[in-house]
Amino acid sequence: MNNTWGDMAQYDPVTWHWVIAVYLFMAGLSAGSLLIGIGLRWFNQEKTQVESNILKAAAIIGPVAISLGLACLVFDLTKPFHFWLILINYNFQSVMAIGVLALLAYSPLAFAYAILVLRDDLPKWGLGFLVPIAKLLMPFRKLIEVLLFVLAIGVGAYTGFLISAMNAYPMLNTAVLPALFLVSGLSAGAAANAVLALVMFKTDSHDKTLAKMHGLELPVMAIEIMFLFMLFCALYFKGGAAAAALASLTSGVWASVFWIGVVGIGFGVPLLFMLLPAATRHSKGAMIMVACASLTGVLALRHFIVYAGQSYLS
Amino acid sequence: MTKRYVMVHDENKCIGCQACNVACRSENGVPEGVTRLQVRVEGPYGEMPHLHFKYHRVSCQQCEDAPCVKVCPTGAAYVGEDGIVSIHGDKCVGCMYCVAACPYKVRFMNPETKVADKCNFCKDTRLARGEQPACVTVCPTDALVFGDANDPQSDVAKLLNTKITYQDKTHLGTHPRVYRVPTKRGGI
Amino acid sequence: MIELNRRTFLKGAGASGATCALASLLPGSLAALESKQLKGMGKEIASICEMCSTRCPISARVIEGKNVFISGNKAAKSFGGKVCARGGAGHSLLYDPQRIVKPLKRVGERGEGKWAEISWDEAYQLIADNLNKIKQAYGPEAVAFSSKSGSQEKHLFHLATAFGSPNTFTHASTCPGGYEIAAKAMFGTKVKRDLSNSKYIINFGHNLYEGINMSETRGMMAAQMDKGAKLVVFEPRFSVVADKADEWYAIRPGTDVAVALALCHVLIEENLYDKAFIERYVEGFDAFAAEVKAYTPEWAETVSDVPAKDIRRIAREYAAKAPHAVVDFGHRATFTTEEFEMRRALYAANILIGNIERKGGIYLGQKPSDYNKLAGEDVSPVLGKPGVKDMPKPAAKRIDQVEEQYAMMWSAGGIYQTILDATLSAVPYQLHGWVMSRTNPMQTMTDRARVVEALKKLDFVAVCDVYISETAAYADVILPESTYLERDEEIADKSGKNPAYYVRQRVVETLGDTRPSWQIFKDIGHKLGLSEFYPWDNMETLQLLQVNRDTDLLRRIKDEGFVSFGKPIMLREPKMVAEFTKAYANAKPVDEDGTYGSLLSFKTPSGKIELTSAKVEAMAPGRGVIKFREVQLKKPNELYFIQGKVAVHTNGATHNVPMLANLMSDNAVWVHPDTASKLGISNGDPIRLTSSVGTEEGHALVTPGIRPDTVFAYMGFGSKNKELVRATGKGIHCGNLLPHVTAPVCGMTVHTTGVTLAKR
Repeated sequence: MNNTWGDMAQYDPVTWHWVIAVYLFMAGLSAGSLLIGIGLRWFNQEKTQVESNILKAAAIIGPVAISLGLACLVFDLTKPFHFWLILINYNFQSVMAIGVLALLAYSPLAFAYAILVLRDDLPKWGLGFLVPIAKLLMPFRKLIEVLLFVLAIGVGAYTGFLISAMNAYPMLNTAVLPALFLVSGLSAGAAANAVLALVMFKTDSHDKTLAKMHGLELPVMAIEIMFLFMLFCALYFKGGAAAAALASLTSGVWASVFWIGVVGIGFGVPLLFMLLPAATRHSKGAMIMVACASLTGVLALRHFIVYAGQSYLS
Repeated sequence: MTKRYVMVHDENKCIGCQACNVACRSENGVPEGVTRLQVRVEGPYGEMPHLHFKYHRVSCQQCEDAPCVKVCPTGAAYVGEDGIVSIHGDKCVGCMYCVAACPYKVRFMNPETKVADKCNFCKDTRLARGEQPACVTVCPTDALVFGDANDPQSDVAKLLNTKITYQDKTHLGTHPRVYRVPTKRGGI
Repeated sequence: MIELNRRTFLKGAGASGATCALASLLPGSLAALESKQLKGMGKEIASICEMCSTRCPISARVIEGKNVFISGNKAAKSFGGKVCARGGAGHSLLYDPQRIVKPLKRVGERGEGKWAEISWDEAYQLIADNLNKIKQAYGPEAVAFSSKSGSQEKHLFHLATAFGSPNTFTHASTCPGGYEIAAKAMFGTKVKRDLSNSKYIINFGHNLYEGINMSETRGMMAAQMDKGAKLVVFEPRFSVVADKADEWYAIRPGTDVAVALALCHVLIEENLYDKAFIERYVEGFDAFAAEVKAYTPEWAETVSDVPAKDIRRIAREYAAKAPHAVVDFGHRATFTTEEFEMRRALYAANILIGNIERKGGIYLGQKPSDYNKLAGEDVSPVLGKPGVKDMPKPAAKRIDQVEEQYAMMWSAGGIYQTILDATLSAVPYQLHGWVMSRTNPMQTMTDRARVVEALKKLDFVAVCDVYISETAAYADVILPESTYLERDEEIADKSGKNPAYYVRQRVVETLGDTRPSWQIFKDIGHKLGLSEFYPWDNMETLQLLQVNRDTDLLRRIKDEGFVSFGKPIMLREPKMVAEFTKAYANAKPVDEDGTYGSLLSFKTPSGKIELTSAKVEAMAPGRGVIKFREVQLKKPNELYFIQGKVAVHTNGATHNVPMLANLMSDNAVWVHPDTASKLGISNGDPIRLTSSVGTEEGHALVTPGIRPDTVFAYMGFGSKNKELVRATGKGIHCGNLLPHVTAPVCGMTVHTTGVTLAKR
């Protein structure tokens, strides 16, 4: 039958677009970066007054990425100048409302932590006026660090919960999604930390902390692949609309994004580099390249999940 | 007793003529390009000569357990005392979470108000005046019946008690308040 | 004077999403007006719809000066207070920025799209000068007048008669003429169907669920759903009515007459017909029965692809429900040149079971004066007929008075398409002018290229419309008519089984510089120097003349919008007659059988129903008896091209109304999957249809709901003039594919032809 009922544009099941995918990426990146930075600091039991370059990188990426992400989010609203409404009205059934609360605590803490960690670098960047604040915060470092670590886990997982809370979409409505997003956030965080440490803080490519972080990449990637496998298996065995959503792996533009972006660049390139001789793969250029591939892979994964996930309705 | 407004769409009587679609626009001032209610004539399905169309009313299902209400961060989406899923326009920031979360894809952003919009059984307009919703008022073949299902004497209650009806996507646990009488051919 | 040419607004059309900017450039359009705030004439106004020619009673309420909520008028019971999508969207036409609200004069070549706004007086003067010039040079008959049927028709035709031209035309020969003329030949008048009380309905592609006629659509649905009537549909396409049917047969296009005759064959052969009825009321049964002997179901199967055993079974089931059963005699589509025979065959199947003036069958309807006579008292007021005494009759012959066989059509709207013959080939004489009111022959007549040629050849063309329609685009002057929501009009007779009246009233104050058609044609009359034929001042005085100065009655009709009088009556239905005589003590005496059967007579030469007609035989030798004749509708390698109505548009009139255009603006062509795969066509592919007269480009809708040898498109789309911004260039233009053919006796254009289909 011909369409006699009018415009169908509003019924496109894909409601959220790339801006939201970028936001999810940025929030994951921010959280992952800080988790890695703080985690490594605790693992190394760093007591020195000199902060590691990895931590410095994380301290920058944490607040900057979340700010960019939130900017994306706000300007994607149909009423961006009314965003404050979301800060004063809360529906605690809503994952987003809880996320807003988490972000309200997380973002200022990330900035505070950045000031604290970067206290020696601030004057170089013309931000010397912030040093007194750093001194003021110093006594609370441990508290800030622990809170930030916990909130970062929350924010990383939240991005997954946000979209998995919608039972209309079988691919999104899965328990594994928050975990997948948290782990892939760690991947992105590690990669971004490496890039910034290498480029901005001129870290030696054989730096100890960098090497430790590098060592985390393979297990993180393995967990990520396992979660993806779990996701697809769950869809396959659930059948019906869920199984139908697996078509996104074989047809359409998002299949290409998945196989080329997520698998090829995100997983393939880092794994291929591991086969290279140590000297080559530990060169600065190679490390930056691998890190960029990982970041691309994670960004592609967010896009794949957002678009393919929304394309198949229950 | 509280009201439980429901609507029944008889797919046997529906001819997909869009009188409801137009009446809804006129009464509620729905802007061009967006739609609160449309009836899609889908198909024909089946094998010759046993073909059949499906007359699919696409509008807010007034879920008792509404995903849109659950996800709305500000509480702009809510269920009123009359059971009608409604929107506080002044609380809505336009995050589209409700639009994305609706399994029936019947919420949209109103391009004029920038607020989430959808069918509310003409709550603010016709129901407030004691009239039937616009779509029910004009339906040429009386395919729509609306009323309080908690009132056993109401037409809807009688209809629900005598006819086979189904609701859309019940597996999602939404408990829609729009019921459908399936067509005589082709099943549900 | 603002001059705008087509190039200016073509430029606008090029940029996507620039429709609004473009509309503001349309000369004389509503877009130029600053305030479009609507001022309602009251809280809730009863009126009459004009979005199609059914003219349903409506009730309208202005909402915050912005739009109007239109529903049906509940006072009209059979309409149920309901309105269709088109009726509900009437207000969208009212304030459409693209509506024309200033008279326009052509300043470029005809059809070039260059217009200048002029005053009403200038427009009237221009028309008067040109018409009088033609009159002096060639006589008044050299001007043809054509109109949408209804309120405009009366006023335009009054002007034509006053002017002296006999050449007045409605759209009859492009729409209802076939079944009206067949009814005239058999019953002497038009007849109505009582679908709501029918227990068995046989339907030959009368798609009442898409081509909505509110009371009939509701009636049929109620019969089906509430009263369990069976519906059998014969149609080449799986339409909505086919879907709702209990049985659907994908009949070969144009072979309906064969199945109808085979049904008659079974009824007669198996003695299933009403002999007493035939004896008493029918003339020419024997000749018909002799002819029908040959039309066996087995024969019909070879012609129509409808299985013989089903035809037999359906005939028996139908007869079993007699007389409360009906064969629907259909509506617009003229399937073949054998239209007249087909409609007569459909009526014959009704006559045989004696369902005339019976519930669920066919009835003649009650005129108020006849009803009062029957009741023996003045149950219903009878409207006065404000007219002009000694109105002179035009001296010349009509242009369609060429062949005697069309005689019945001359007084029933005329053979519209003969305007083209008279203009292009001076048959029977040369036309020089054409005045039109709300008619769009470019869409509704066949062979569009010929219509263009005719419009270009004429000395003068004036069009009264609400848009620059495809036809108006070729006019010299365009007169902007007020929409129906801005017009007061005469009280109209809406009698059915009992008398009823209703009236069109202004719902809102007029937007822009438009005028109601009655005023426009009266004003032109004065300008032409014909003031003597206009003894009334305005609509108010006309209405007062109608109610014979009974102001209470006028007030009542206006307040209620629809007023019905008395009890419904069908002359041969005993129960109804009993109730009627109970209500009216002085009612005419009842026959022994408890009916008014003896009062049933027909305005035919014999006074009986003429199953076989000597009059028709005299007009068209060989056609006295209903007969099957083979018709070649397409070449063997071609596909049948058929059309139909859609619920959200009316013929060639509504495709630019914003709300309706937004619902549907394209008519993808239905193609069967087998046909499509042979031609390498997939759903949505661009395609080309080519007929003997034209080529159209559109898209394919691949669906099993159509015969493999047939393609289907909804009609009225694919406008070709740039002024109709929303409609132009979208879809297939059906009129451009249909060749110019006139069916015998009824003079209808034909809506089926052969086409070749190709992927493009």
